[in-house]
Amino acid sequence: MTDLLALIVQQSVNGVYLGCLYVMVALGLTLIYGVLNQINFAHADFVTVGAFTAFFTVTRFATKVLGIPDTGAYLLSLFAALGAGALLGWVVSAAVFAPLRRRGADELRPLIATIGVSVLLENGQLALFGPIPYQFDSPLARETIRLGPIFFSGQSALVVAVSVAAIAALYAFMRFTFMGKALRAVAQDRETAGLMGINENLVIALTIVIASALAGVAGAMLGPVVVLTPFTGASLIVKAFAIVIIGGFGNMEGTIIAGLLVGIIEAFTVQYLGSGLIDLVVFAMLLAMLVLRPTGLIAERKEENV
Amino acid sequence: MLISIGVIAALPWLLASGYWRGILVLCAMNVLLALSLNLVLGYTGQLNLGQSAFFGIGAYVSTILIKTYGWNFWLAALAAVGAAGLVGVALAAFAVRLRGHYLAIASLGFAVITYQVLVNWESVTQGVRGIYGILPPVPNTVALFYLVAGIGLLVYFLLDNLVHSPVGDTLRAIREDEVSAAALGVNAAVWKAFAFGLGAAIAGLAGCFYPGFVGTLVPDAFGIVESFTMMAMVIVGGMGTMIGPVIGAIVLTFLPELLRGFGELRLMVYGLALTLVVLFMPGGIVQAWIAFRNKLA
Amino acid sequence: MTALLKAEKLHKSFGGVRAVYDVSLDVPAGSIFALIGPNGAGKSTLLNLLSGVYQPDSGSLSFDQANLIGLPAYERARLGIARTFQKIRLFKQLTLLENVLAGFHIRQDVPLWKCFFPGGAGRFRDEAMDLLSSVGLGNRGNDRAGALSYGQQRMLEIARALATRPKLFMLDEPAAGLNSAEVGLLLERLSLIRKGGATVIVVEHNMDLVMNIAERVLVMDHGVRLFEGTPREVQANPGVIEAYLGGEFAA
Repeated sequence: MTDLLALIVQQSVNGVYLGCLYVMVALGLTLIYGVLNQINFAHADFVTVGAFTAFFTVTRFATKVLGIPDTGAYLLSLFAALGAGALLGWVVSAAVFAPLRRRGADELRPLIATIGVSVLLENGQLALFGPIPYQFDSPLARETIRLGPIFFSGQSALVVAVSVAAIAALYAFMRFTFMGKALRAVAQDRETAGLMGINENLVIALTIVIASALAGVAGAMLGPVVVLTPFTGASLIVKAFAIVIIGGFGNMEGTIIAGLLVGIIEAFTVQYLGSGLIDLVVFAMLLAMLVLRPTGLIAERKEENV
Repeated sequence: MLISIGVIAALPWLLASGYWRGILVLCAMNVLLALSLNLVLGYTGQLNLGQSAFFGIGAYVSTILIKTYGWNFWLAALAAVGAAGLVGVALAAFAVRLRGHYLAIASLGFAVITYQVLVNWESVTQGVRGIYGILPPVPNTVALFYLVAGIGLLVYFLLDNLVHSPVGDTLRAIREDEVSAAALGVNAAVWKAFAFGLGAAIAGLAGCFYPGFVGTLVPDAFGIVESFTMMAMVIVGGMGTMIGPVIGAIVLTFLPELLRGFGELRLMVYGLALTLVVLFMPGGIVQAWIAFRNKLA
Repeated sequence: MTALLKAEKLHKSFGGVRAVYDVSLDVPAGSIFALIGPNGAGKSTLLNLLSGVYQPDSGSLSFDQANLIGLPAYERARLGIARTFQKIRLFKQLTLLENVLAGFHIRQDVPLWKCFFPGGAGRFRDEAMDLLSSVGLGNRGNDRAGALSYGQQRMLEIARALATRPKLFMLDEPAAGLNSAEVGLLLERLSLIRKGGATVIVVEHNMDLVMNIAERVLVMDHGVRLFEGTPREVQANPGVIEAYLGGEFAA
């Protein structure tokens, strides 16, 4: 019996590790939705950009140019990915979201615009990197840590550590800094926040940058675990949506719980049903959620005002 | 109308290489797809990102019926169109309960699930290995082009009349404001089912010709990327008009071909065109053309 | 007079907030019935219950002998109930003519298959133009609805609803945002509608309109029925005056 228990715990640990990655991705999505009421369809492609940035930092830059050993190179690549994500977020915010906001566009146009950005990023990366999957080996994946009967790799430990740190930092930011509070104000009521002297555009841009930075780092950590091609984002985005919907759009706690949940479900599905069916299970969950409780596990309904 | 027939008849002789004739066939298929999506997205205002699923259902159902059960092409096509239409009506059930970006995500999820079914149900679909050796219903590319373009012309004719009929008024009412449409007696659920079903059936019809055109059928052509491409064609051309999707399909089929000199970067045309159009000219090429004409007047 | 619309003990709460509580009313056929009350009284909610936007938590509702409970809004429109909305809901991207044509949906009798062929267009174009002219918009049929002024949009909304040839026409604060000339036009329209045999229910703040045209008035406050009577009786009733804090009823 202990074998079965150990197996369950092992899978749960795997699930938590996977879940943390998903949380990092989904958190950015939910942040952007919270502050802008818009869905960034290109978000998962930010993740891919982060992954490729990290990959090239490790393989071309850090070891060859700077001569840093493996682990250090990988850690450096995390920062590079963070920077790349932030930069990309800033560009998209300034070039796409801000102009649409100025023109008073409805909710349909920005959504389609982000689809356009997504297609653009995917094809751009296809042109630069080609369609063949890249082998991204993290040096930490080879190190195994053992806690009783449970095994996990150094990579998993890093992922969990980084995610927890990032989430903690985010919470601290939102709670204790002025900018963080401004962010929450804008998320609740943009007009009033503006009237109270908060520069909404700055806050929105900052939110997008933070969200994209998170996505970038997630990419750096996700790179070694998935099939890395320019189209990785396309398969990831629906999973991210599933998490945000299950957790409730704009609801940070819900997203975290949902992300971990999806990670654990995926870990168990891979073990017992085979990897081909994961996507199916997750997306079936998504559709079920949309039908039964479109506002998420925790959020409340808003009656339409007629 | 006659001009179009004349142009279509002449095209395979103007672009006389095997390669360009192939592009013509692809273009005709894209026109069909864009028209099908425009009915749901442009006229009924439903954010449907799952249209590629119906394209795939049409392709697979017809091919499997022909190859495994020996059906005649036209009967198989009929069955495939029916199947796609039925699934379209099922997707409409989501559209009744969901709005805006929720529907977008649900339809996207639907497309992914369909793709996964095509990949994983190997006993029936052969999964990623693909189905080989599929023959088109007519012997050569030129004939195939005439066939698909002819069907495209017919579909255009029927849809054009439809959107100018009271049905068009009803669909547009749903697009503009469902609540007051209901106060005018419009049963939104039924009409959404109609739009989705018809749009799906047309996409399925296009799907029937695709396997014969490429020879090998794999699930890869029916994913999210294909849905996005269709949407780009509708929006870049001019959403909610009849000629818009046709223009969009033609432009976005030929532009990447004309840009072959730029290597892989040419595919960025889709994303770039879509983003720029949404930012600066949401009504697409049609809007630009009307604005241009007004400036001259 | 027979009651065209009968509501009994309607209740509607939203998550613990009682919007409408134990409200009953009888609307006689062919009359103009006004629903007034301070802000938040539940008037719009009551109208939404009558038109089918909301279903009541309990109570009964019938129209012309037909039971309305459970019937969705589009079915009620088919029975002959039309309405306008407090926040004007037009098809902004469509032309005026297209807006009104959409109103003929219930009366369209072209079979579906015919719509795929030329000549499937309905026969209501002339009637639509007449409706537009009757509200003073006859020469702007091809303009975009979004381009009209607020008062004109309100009249367009009314014209569109009239296309359904309703037996009961409900208007939610139609005079809000209208200048006095536009209110005059509205009054004319309403009495013409009544002369045509329809029954009218108006939710209103504008006392001129209510006093001028209503035959019976129901006053609501905090979701309950406060008083019902003729306009004169309402004006004299001390409970009503108190509810309004004497403001609008200063004699």
